[in-house]
Amino acid sequence: MAKQGLTATSAFLHWKPVANSNLTVDARETLTMASFAAAKGKKDELNAAVRAAYGVDLPKTPSRVEGQQGVAFVWAGPEQWLAVAERKDGRDLETEFKKTFGPLASVVDQSDGRVVVRISGPRAREVLAKGIPLDLHETAFRPGSAAITHASHIGVILWQIDDKPTYEVALFRSYVDSFAHWLLDSAAEYGVAHA
Amino acid sequence: MATPGHRSGTGSQPNRLDRGGLIDRSRTIRFTFDGKTYTGHPGDTLASALLANGVVLTGRSFKYHRPRGILSAGSEEPNALVELRDGARREPNTKATMAELFDGLSATSQNRWPSLEFDVMSINSLLSPVFVAGFYYKTFMWPSALWEKLYEPMIRRAAGLGRASDDADPDTYDKATAFADVLVIGAGSAGLMAALSAARTGARVILVDENAALGGRAIDDAAEIDGKPAADWVRSVETELSQAKNVRILRRTTAFGAYDGGTYGAVERVSDHLPKAAEGAPRQRLWRLVAKQTVLASGATERPIVFGGNDRPGVMLAGAVRTYLNRFGVAPGQRAVVFTNNDYGATTVTALKRAGVDVVALVDSRPELSEQVKRIAGEAGTKLISGGVVTGAVGKKRVTGVTIQTRTDDEIKLECDLVAVSGGWNPNIQLTTHQGSRPVWNDTLHCFLPGVLPHGMSLAGAVAGDLALHKALAGGATAGASAATSTGRQATPTAVPKAAEESEAITPLWRVKNPNGKAFVDQQNDVTASDVELAEREGFRAVEHLKRYTTLGMATDQGRTANVNALAIMAEITGRSIPETGITVARPPYTPVALGALAGHHREKNFKPTRLPPSYRWAKEQGAVFVETGLWLRPAYFPRPGEKDWLETVKREVTTVRSAVGICDVSTLGKVDLQGADAAAFLDKIYMNGLKTLGIGKARYGGMLREDGIFLDDGTVARFGENHYFITTTTANAVKAVQHMEYCHQWLFPEMDVQIVSATEQWAQYAVAGPKSRELLQKVVDPEFDITDAGFNYLQVGEITVCGGIKARLYRLSFSGERAYEIGVPARYGDALIRRLMEAGQEFGACAYGTEALGVMRIEKGHISGPELNGTTTPRDVGLGGMVSSKKDFIGHVLGKRPGLTDPDRPTLVGFRPVDRQARLRSGAHFIARDAVPSASTDEGYMTSVAFSPSNGHWVGLGFLKRGPDRIGEIVRAYDPVRGGDTLVEVVSPVFVDPEGVRVRG
Amino acid sequence: MRIACPYCGERSLDEFLYSGDATVKRPDFASPTATEEFVSYVYERTNPPGMHRELWYHAAGCHAWLVVTRGVATHQITSVEAAREVALKEKSATKDTK
Repeated sequence: MAKQGLTATSAFLHWKPVANSNLTVDARETLTMASFAAAKGKKDELNAAVRAAYGVDLPKTPSRVEGQQGVAFVWAGPEQWLAVAERKDGRDLETEFKKTFGPLASVVDQSDGRVVVRISGPRAREVLAKGIPLDLHETAFRPGSAAITHASHIGVILWQIDDKPTYEVALFRSYVDSFAHWLLDSAAEYGVAHA
Repeated sequence: MATPGHRSGTGSQPNRLDRGGLIDRSRTIRFTFDGKTYTGHPGDTLASALLANGVVLTGRSFKYHRPRGILSAGSEEPNALVELRDGARREPNTKATMAELFDGLSATSQNRWPSLEFDVMSINSLLSPVFVAGFYYKTFMWPSALWEKLYEPMIRRAAGLGRASDDADPDTYDKATAFADVLVIGAGSAGLMAALSAARTGARVILVDENAALGGRAIDDAAEIDGKPAADWVRSVETELSQAKNVRILRRTTAFGAYDGGTYGAVERVSDHLPKAAEGAPRQRLWRLVAKQTVLASGATERPIVFGGNDRPGVMLAGAVRTYLNRFGVAPGQRAVVFTNNDYGATTVTALKRAGVDVVALVDSRPELSEQVKRIAGEAGTKLISGGVVTGAVGKKRVTGVTIQTRTDDEIKLECDLVAVSGGWNPNIQLTTHQGSRPVWNDTLHCFLPGVLPHGMSLAGAVAGDLALHKALAGGATAGASAATSTGRQATPTAVPKAAEESEAITPLWRVKNPNGKAFVDQQNDVTASDVELAEREGFRAVEHLKRYTTLGMATDQGRTANVNALAIMAEITGRSIPETGITVARPPYTPVALGALAGHHREKNFKPTRLPPSYRWAKEQGAVFVETGLWLRPAYFPRPGEKDWLETVKREVTTVRSAVGICDVSTLGKVDLQGADAAAFLDKIYMNGLKTLGIGKARYGGMLREDGIFLDDGTVARFGENHYFITTTTANAVKAVQHMEYCHQWLFPEMDVQIVSATEQWAQYAVAGPKSRELLQKVVDPEFDITDAGFNYLQVGEITVCGGIKARLYRLSFSGERAYEIGVPARYGDALIRRLMEAGQEFGACAYGTEALGVMRIEKGHISGPELNGTTTPRDVGLGGMVSSKKDFIGHVLGKRPGLTDPDRPTLVGFRPVDRQARLRSGAHFIARDAVPSASTDEGYMTSVAFSPSNGHWVGLGFLKRGPDRIGEIVRAYDPVRGGDTLVEVVSPVFVDPEGVRVRG
Repeated sequence: MRIACPYCGERSLDEFLYSGDATVKRPDFASPTATEEFVSYVYERTNPPGMHRELWYHAAGCHAWLVVTRGVATHQITSVEAAREVALKEKSATKDTK
């Protein structure tokens, strides 16, 4: 008889949380994520299914929309999306979407493959500019904007939440320590001590 | 700004004027030069502070070790190069003219031994007939054996510039990107006007300047703008710009390169002016600036006139003399001669007089007398020698006088300690040429002006040929407004402030014909006018040849005070015009950039990102030794106490797997989720072997080729549903394989209904291999799943649960040749699963194994990997020719059948074992017949992979041998001259363990 | 150089990979002269000066393959299209003429 249960391990084992008046950095640990792509010719039907279930249209351009039921949809490539929600009560977007979308989309669980880091505060923009080669100026990138790019040579999906400004960065799990190292190096001149 | 006053003349800083300049006289700071302590003020550069202290000798020259002083006041400085700071922070070849003074600064002169005052190498000067153009090419050519041992080290010692520190750079650097509607490069009067008029439209403006203070030549010349001192006007503009939300001012920032698409490279010296960087602050920051429009207001660089002894300390550019007087409140001499060929240069007389410096003579080479010059000389009461030239500066470590040839060919000798020279101005056009544009010679201004400008760039001020202040201000206003307008902003005209009209009249004079002494064209590289003549005589007339033959225009100043003069002299000698003679085009960087700044955060351990596999923390606890595979850090082996070397550990790991069970993290393999109605058809296109018959719940090997028939990658294809496949790639090629699949899907077969998603990181995946693997897995797999051989046989896959309901995927695959499985769980459970597997495996004697044991076992089984899939091999080469489908269209089908790739003589995969079983094999060895003489023509192939096989008790190898499979039993030489290997090996089957493949099935 | 990805907008060169000529079409493997056609498809390029139609891959972005029309001497880019859209259009055009 197998011993029951396995303990989940955080991807952020070596992180020290950052919080000062310039910058706060949080690991978003409890997310369920799924990427999905429209089956050929099913884009409109898929969109209708999303609208029916979550009350929003899927973004057609690099952006993020917040749907009902606590699900946010982030554009993740042509006819592809990354959906993000809190993992509460065993919620699992892969299962949920497979049921909701059926043959309209292929759905792949990303809850473990990707991790999300939230970066916020008056210096967030300057810190991100040290690795992300995008124009994050308030007139060019706003709450709801999203982009697929790289941060210090690490592939990321980035989106903005609010005007503080708050950003979230989704990256592949194995890069977490390298990403943290770059982030803390970049934040050092704003009074953030290195872990 | 107050008018500069007279020099104090006594005590510390004897040459400091008693008022004027932008220095902070309320604070005195100390610094050392060659160990001696001096004082200066905040706002000084090292050069201005040295001059204030009467130090004019700052270094020795490159080849002749001649005494040299400060020529300029900017980044064009060829001479006054010093080693700044000490220890690991020692920075060689720092321009004293650019180094801002800070308290405690320490600087050392370069290229002198034993001391600056007495340099034994100055004997080179006496040998100067030897050190002529082409010196390196003509000397030390024979015997060649001596070059490396003797000549090169000797030359390097004698002719070096500064010494870099041998220690690791202790500073930090970072990189950032910034975007602008309008980028303004240069914050002189033109740049400030451009920034101001662009900013007032609301456009996002970035203004960069290489200096700490804005204002440029208007301040250096103590000009008046709108009836007030220029410094007041600069301050008001600076205030407005600093307060504007849409403007970013980057001081101490040099735009060093112009690239396509409005991209500029710039380096900001964040902390170089401070004794110590602020906590957390980088030393320098590399900026990538991306601008819709760029106004280049980079100014101009004054050029010297080439005459005898023009390198003597005390001979300075006239504009630099004005800078030291007006910006720094320093008189660089007490008795001056001003030598000019233009009206602007003559204004130096007024500046010197105003500071109380005695001006002995104004030598104007132009035969016709200009009104401005006449007025200046008259007002100053200075002797005007019109139509005359300075033929020589005399003196050794400091100029003591000049010889002048008058228009009537009389020679006059005058005593002086300062010669201010102006040969005119060269616009700083470098950034306009970085993308290949050729500059254009202007016959009125006698200088190169930018040619076709890079897309989005416009010019303002001196770089456009508008040297005069009133023109620069007007040009800046126009350029800034129109740049902003092109980005869609509405511009209302910005009032152009008033400035006196200045004369730019010039009659070129490049060199003095009969110089009294050595006349230098390029002071940094010790290239003289006679070197240019010699180059011409020897046929090196093209400007690029001239440069390489004489070394002119090289090194840290890139010939900014030399190139045009050299070109003009060559033109004069050959009787051609300057544009006929050549054009100097610059490449980035405009000024030297520290390598640390280019690296930024990406150095040492952070050179590349590191990817950590799910078992990393656990493996680290076990004391695993890690190896970099691509970006991944994977356990290579797990040493145990008492094991004396890696080989012993690896032997133990292999033996454990072959006799019991071992566990290995294989999460790093690329994993791709493939779904869609056409998924099967798509796989048939991208794999060489048939996959249509692959049933649900089964896995199969898949070989992926390039269109030329060569292997791209391989892995397994598992089918989980009607239209759902899960593919693995090798760790190394994961990214490339996805790219290839997306290429096939988006470009070659766009009509197919396929969705490709990378899922590498979603799954923590472990190989569980060995005769006890099933028993071990049964301890974690939930009981409702039958994993007995009846229920789960070789190459079967399934979605299961483990440890009480955790979703998992199980694959019965084997790389080791043993009964083996791969088990995947969501990555967050990866750490817990390896701990659970190791715990459950205790009773079976399980061990963890790393990439070394993995490699040994796959070699023992003759399985191919990276060394065999090396970008030159076909399926047939690796013994998989039989697998290639002949019926379907797949990538690589047609070209894979070319005669060259199907030639039976091609080296083909076989195994090797040493005839002397004690001998070690080495990959990379080439195979030749036993009695052949090693040569390219007797080469019959090469060894790709070797390992000590614990299962066989000797080394085994895989390799490609001509007609290999036909030569089993033959003995050939494995010849490895690089490492001295020469071993007889027997050609054998590549499968060294369980050739019948019994174990893998149970 | 900067390339305006039709999906992501203008991005710096370092997000993209160049991947060859976009004007060559993969031949039919069943053609009697397939070998010659494939040799030409894979290897033979004229590389004239002027504008090229090139394939690029937005590797560090949305993973779209792109058809970029670019002056190889000037780096001037006159159009960037999604390769899949181009390929679908060309396929349907070929079908129509058949």
